[in-house]
Amino acid sequence: MRATRLARLALDDLKRNRKHFLLASIGIVVGIAAFTFFLALGGGVRKVVLGKIFPLDKIEVVPKSFDIDVSMLRVPLSNEIINDAKVEQLRAIPNVVAVYPKMKLTIPSMVWGGAKLLGNNLRAELIADGVEPELVAPDIASDYRFADFEAGLAKWDDWKTLPTATVCATDEQCRTEHGDEQFYCWGSEDLAIWNDKLAAAVKKGKPPPKPLGFDPLCRAYIPILVSENIVELYNGSVRRAHNFPKINPDSAMGFTFDLTFGASMVDASARDRVVEAKGILVGVSDKAIALGMTLPVGYVRRLNVEFNEADDASKYHSAVIKVGSKDDVAGVALAVKALDLDVTDTGAEQAALLITIFMMVFGFVSIVIVGIAAVNIMHVFFMLIYERQREIGIMRAVGASRRDIRRIILGEAAIVGAIAGVIGVLMAFGAGDVFDWISASYIPDFPFKPKTYFEFPAVLIAASFLFAIGFCVLGAFFPANRAARTDPARVLTGQ
Amino acid sequence: MIRLRGVRKRYTTNKLVNEVLKGIDLDIEAGEFVAFVGRSGSGKTTLLNIIGALDTDFEGSVEVDGRDIRKLDDAAVSDYRNRNIGFIFQSFHLLEHMTCRENITLPSLFARGEGLLEGPALAARADEVLREVELTEKRDALPSTLSGGQKQRVAIARALFQRPKLMICDEPTGNLDSSTALAILELFRRLNEDHGITLVIVTHDDMISRACKRIVRIDDGRIVEGAGEFGESARQAAREATPEAHP
Repeated sequence: MRATRLARLALDDLKRNRKHFLLASIGIVVGIAAFTFFLALGGGVRKVVLGKIFPLDKIEVVPKSFDIDVSMLRVPLSNEIINDAKVEQLRAIPNVVAVYPKMKLTIPSMVWGGAKLLGNNLRAELIADGVEPELVAPDIASDYRFADFEAGLAKWDDWKTLPTATVCATDEQCRTEHGDEQFYCWGSEDLAIWNDKLAAAVKKGKPPPKPLGFDPLCRAYIPILVSENIVELYNGSVRRAHNFPKINPDSAMGFTFDLTFGASMVDASARDRVVEAKGILVGVSDKAIALGMTLPVGYVRRLNVEFNEADDASKYHSAVIKVGSKDDVAGVALAVKALDLDVTDTGAEQAALLITIFMMVFGFVSIVIVGIAAVNIMHVFFMLIYERQREIGIMRAVGASRRDIRRIILGEAAIVGAIAGVIGVLMAFGAGDVFDWISASYIPDFPFKPKTYFEFPAVLIAASFLFAIGFCVLGAFFPANRAARTDPARVLTGQ
Repeated sequence: MIRLRGVRKRYTTNKLVNEVLKGIDLDIEAGEFVAFVGRSGSGKTTLLNIIGALDTDFEGSVEVDGRDIRKLDDAAVSDYRNRNIGFIFQSFHLLEHMTCRENITLPSLFARGEGLLEGPALAARADEVLREVELTEKRDALPSTLSGGQKQRVAIARALFQRPKLMICDEPTGNLDSSTALAILELFRRLNEDHGITLVIVTHDDMISRACKRIVRIDDGRIVEGAGEFGESARQAAREATPEAHP
């Protein structure tokens, strides 16, 4: 019997018995909807937790720490540095795809600004680190770049020798001249103040002020990344204390502020000299320092060398290791420990385990629902086969084999399963949308609150669909066999 | 064409064994028009089911064109039914949800190889058999809108669809009035004479049995008349062996 004829016959039978099948398939629809919904929810939560909160395919390595507590103080006894040699050793570990060393800024610094965004300028101590731009490339907002625009310079102030350091009067002039939105006119504010003083002096007939002593020059902003933690901390707590507006990180891109390196609100920490620059926010990244700002590592390296020792250029404080597969994380972690380093415990493995258990429990509940529905399908098919035994007998008499009858019944079950599967998956999508809408509308914001809690990969949709068909076919298996064994002589002639 | 030897059939109900056929020997040649007659419960319909390969659970052998149908697997037996046999039942056994045309073409759904008709050929064959049974105008009607005679004509058209060699009819006029029964009988005669189809009919109707060229009388699971040459000699041998059982 050809598949097209089988499908036609099965569809006709389904139409005739649609009420029975409608009732029978409700369980399958609900079960598949629950199955898809919970697995999509688990997948979505897993994506947020393991993708943003505890990235599992990247592990952070720190020097092994041996500290002793002396009264109020904790005294480190070990070397807190990862040097270039260690980085190379890390790169040599099997299944390590890449190693991105991170360098902390080891000088006091301050950040000032925010009036455009918050309505008031803020001044704060700056905690910063530097990372390789490649590590955070996917997190950079479109139209912005996270790069060391002053790479290769020996001294911090050497930026003035760059070909891009052209004389300017305004930020706009620099942007136009260099065709880059990430440029500003360094010293233009001092020039404006000097011009004001000059105008006032001329007005009052006094001698002109002392010359500025430098020309304002075009310079690239230092690109800055912040972590989602800091955004959540601001939106959740800081803004409430100062009655500041809530920040949408996407619209905060391009926000600029002043950076002063070597300065501190703690007098004893301030250095003899300071250097200034301007930063621009170019992205939010889970690889950024939790509370502070992350810069391209080149800037941090130059500052550390400028204010400390020359060998600070290769003193890293941690390294992020990108592992080929999540399955390889345990092996890589062991190899890291063998190098006298530690893996920071992010709780990722526990989180992954919890999510897996959550998915297994709800997946199991869904399977039970679908299983019970399959039993219901079986009952319906048994009943229908009893009602249709004369029809089956006629088919047998005109040439249907047992296999044909079995295929007709299983074909009907497969169609019921396919329809129920589609409806179930659509219901799961709908329920997910409702859930997301409720979350967005009524649930207060919390750290890492996602836009959607669900992930519906194609493989899940396909699996749910096949699952529905499989369970319906399974439910119809015994009825189909019974139908195939229908004795045509008995049902047609009563013999 | 059909050769039955030592065919026995038993039913077991609540551990009680009921032997319905007690050693049937019968030859039916191609083109014959045979009536099985006998009292109710004599085994006529059981024998018909065995000849039609609806029932393959029996002892003995049934050969059709030299092939023992008991030795065929289910697919082969089904194919044999599809290609060679048309069934007609007392209660018509039409599928009520299908139109006349769909009922008639039902065998084509299960046809394989040469018997498989599709598209225009299928429609043409359906029209041909509808003309044969004079029901062209009812092709799209549902069986529930037809009279008893028309339903039986649809059943005959369905039986004819695959151009069978043999038609098995179980009380085909049992639910029809005499004038309709006569018309059906005339149709059978035409099929037999014009198309050479072998007809085997179980009937209580004397008019039908008289019209048949051969009458096989069955009583208590045995053929008592009309078994043919081999049947007569076998019965004679049985009489001589057990005279008390064969009066």
